[in-house]
Amino acid sequence: MTDFKIHHRDGDGVSIIELKGYLDAHTAPDLETAFQKLLNEKKYNVVVNCRDLSYISSAGLGVFMAYVEDIRKNMGDIKLTNMSSKVYNVFDLLGFPLLYEIFKDEQEAVSRFKEIKK
Amino acid sequence: MSRFKRILLLIIPAVLLPFVYMYDVVNAAVKVEITSLMVLRELIVIVSFTMIGLFIENRNKSLTHNAPKEIGRLFFGIVLSLLAIGIAIIFQPPEFSGPDAMNIYHSAVFMIFSTFIAIVLAVVSLFILLTLRGLIFFKRRKSTRRYYLAYLIFLFAACGAELTFFNLEDTFLPQILYAFAIVLIIVNSFKQNWIVYLSKREKVYSIVYSVLMFVALNMLDFFLASGIGSNNAIISYSRPLHSFIWLNAIFGTIYFGVTFISTLFHLPTAEVFEKKQSELNSLHNLSRLVTQVFDFNDLVNTVTQMTAEVCDARSVWLELFSVNAQTGEMSVDVVSKKNITQQEIDLIGADDGTRLRRYLIDSPKVLLIEDIWNDRRTKYLKEKGFARGSFLSIPLLSHGKLIGVLHATKEYQNAFDQEDIDVMTTFADHVSIAIENSRLIAKSIERERLHQEMMVAQRMQKRLLPQKLPDTASAEFAAVSESSLEVGGDYYDVFSLPDECVGIVVGDVSGKGVSAAFYMAEVKGIVLSLSKICSTPRELLLRANDTLLESLEKNAFISAVYAVLDVTNASLTMARAGHCPVILISGDTSELVKSSGIGLGLTDASQFEQATEERKIKLKHGDICIFYTDGITEARNEDMEEYGYERLVQIARECRDCSAEVMKEKILTNVRTFIGQGAYTDDVTLVVVKWLGSSKD
Repeated sequence: MTDFKIHHRDGDGVSIIELKGYLDAHTAPDLETAFQKLLNEKKYNVVVNCRDLSYISSAGLGVFMAYVEDIRKNMGDIKLTNMSSKVYNVFDLLGFPLLYEIFKDEQEAVSRFKEIKK
Repeated sequence: MSRFKRILLLIIPAVLLPFVYMYDVVNAAVKVEITSLMVLRELIVIVSFTMIGLFIENRNKSLTHNAPKEIGRLFFGIVLSLLAIGIAIIFQPPEFSGPDAMNIYHSAVFMIFSTFIAIVLAVVSLFILLTLRGLIFFKRRKSTRRYYLAYLIFLFAACGAELTFFNLEDTFLPQILYAFAIVLIIVNSFKQNWIVYLSKREKVYSIVYSVLMFVALNMLDFFLASGIGSNNAIISYSRPLHSFIWLNAIFGTIYFGVTFISTLFHLPTAEVFEKKQSELNSLHNLSRLVTQVFDFNDLVNTVTQMTAEVCDARSVWLELFSVNAQTGEMSVDVVSKKNITQQEIDLIGADDGTRLRRYLIDSPKVLLIEDIWNDRRTKYLKEKGFARGSFLSIPLLSHGKLIGVLHATKEYQNAFDQEDIDVMTTFADHVSIAIENSRLIAKSIERERLHQEMMVAQRMQKRLLPQKLPDTASAEFAAVSESSLEVGGDYYDVFSLPDECVGIVVGDVSGKGVSAAFYMAEVKGIVLSLSKICSTPRELLLRANDTLLESLEKNAFISAVYAVLDVTNASLTMARAGHCPVILISGDTSELVKSSGIGLGLTDASQFEQATEERKIKLKHGDICIFYTDGITEARNEDMEEYGYERLVQIARECRDCSAEVMKEKILTNVRTFIGQGAYTDDVTLVVVKWLGSSKD
């Protein structure tokens, strides 16, 4: 089957999740686990780096919807960065850019969190 | 051999032998020494006894099914013949000496005696030969047959050499032939394989019979070698026959002598052999049972029963472990027990005694306790009144996981040997396999049931899609929807609206399978009811979003596009809720109509309202609108390449002059060809609308 990997690292009070490969109905539970872990650890500032994400299905998009509410309730947010045009197209079709802040670069998203903190 | 032939084998000797008798009587009295008659007589004797031999052989085909019984029967025959000899010796007619000895009367009496004793001994000796053949051929090897045949050849050669008209008495030839025959007797006497397979009881019988046989045959040997008158009577009847009887008697003596000694040596191992035999039998039975796992109780009861029998255990019981899926607690069920009460079993598993069971769970290996009272792991059982003895536990493993334990106890310390461990391990393996089998069967039955349910769901869902598309003169409709799984989350509908309008909707529920199918049904209900009250596509989507926002799960959403075709005004008004753009082909131009919008169930009414815009398209004759789901554009081939928008637009443009139905088929075929060997990974839906009316301003 298609490959999917999640890499998680922390930097400056922001949790960064790097996605790699195909995020579909089969691999969506992996991302759910990652988000649940962040919630448990009370880490609400999340940047999802989609640099190596080659495909996202509706089930994959659903994962963001499932957790964004809880994260925003805790004054946090999910910000998306480094999308390929193909992946961006999927987000765009569904109108996700209205719901999420999408940045070209991971650093921009991190500094955006810092601005809000100040 | 036919019945008639068999009877003939008896009748011919019965007719021939009296002639021999008459010849003998006359010959004894008158001394007619005619060589040709003598030769004829010997030939008749040989033919007659060969026929009797064939007759006996024919009746005794199935020998050695019960060797001791056969030997016993033979012994009985020999005792009878010895008795006959004894009687014959007592009533032997007087010596025939003197000039008047051989009158007709005397010779008639003497010849009756001689014929009788010869026939009796010949028959007995045939029985000996055939019984021995049965025993020797018990385990047939190439050499077995060869040695036996060699003996027969030398036996007959030695007998033949005795024929008086050959005049070989002065040469060494008869002696040499005898010597060879005896050597072969010795060789054949070592074919004693049948002893191994006797039970202990049968071996004891066999020892007794072989001793008796040895003694009886020895007596016969002595008689045949002696110069007693009765022996001379046989010799005078037929020298070859005498040799035949004698050699066979020697054969019997030596063979049964060897039997006696080898049985004696086999006796100590008889029990082990019997145990092995019963092990084999029970394993065979067990293997058969394992395949009939439907009656699981039967199987476990058989296992405990067999373990008790084969290992000679005092008590045996079988425990199965099951883990509660919710609490994760492990429970122990004693599924079968023999000679032990539940209370006693509970002693071992009691609170302060969990150590023993813990021990097994922690390291699922064979646990052998030589002395229950003195082993540190089971000492506590002494105070609890558990009987002394030894204890053996074999773990039942399935895929390396402990699923149960087979326990056994014996009355004495150090009572379990390696054999018991091996046997019980094999039994435990069988039970594991049977449990595994029954679980697999239960699973596959459940799977089959679910599959049936899914098939029902599939039929129901097919009925949710339109069975018939609207029929108007100015527009053609064609549609198809295929699920990648049994049920899917794609939805489309084309329905007539008031004022000569036609509603067209295509939707895609996030995710796949059953959950998507339920939402799909909900969307159909919502769209159908709203289509009657909402005047514009945008309004319908807004109100659908309100309703769905409440009922959808957080991670679920629906992308949809809704369009209203106004036949009177030749226009298509559409709004898009996060769905794939509609393809519009008009003349040589093509466009992806992607009005702004957001998926249903993603956000609240105000944001949704803000985001969603409506587009109105003026239609010209021959214009084509293609509605579809991402199952088409995201269809992937073996190289993980996506079908994409370009290919879809390309194929649609190529066949823009076709009817809607043909275009739909062509697009579908094109997608399938692109995918190649694989199946759809997502649900696929396609609706083609072709405007055939004229354009209006």
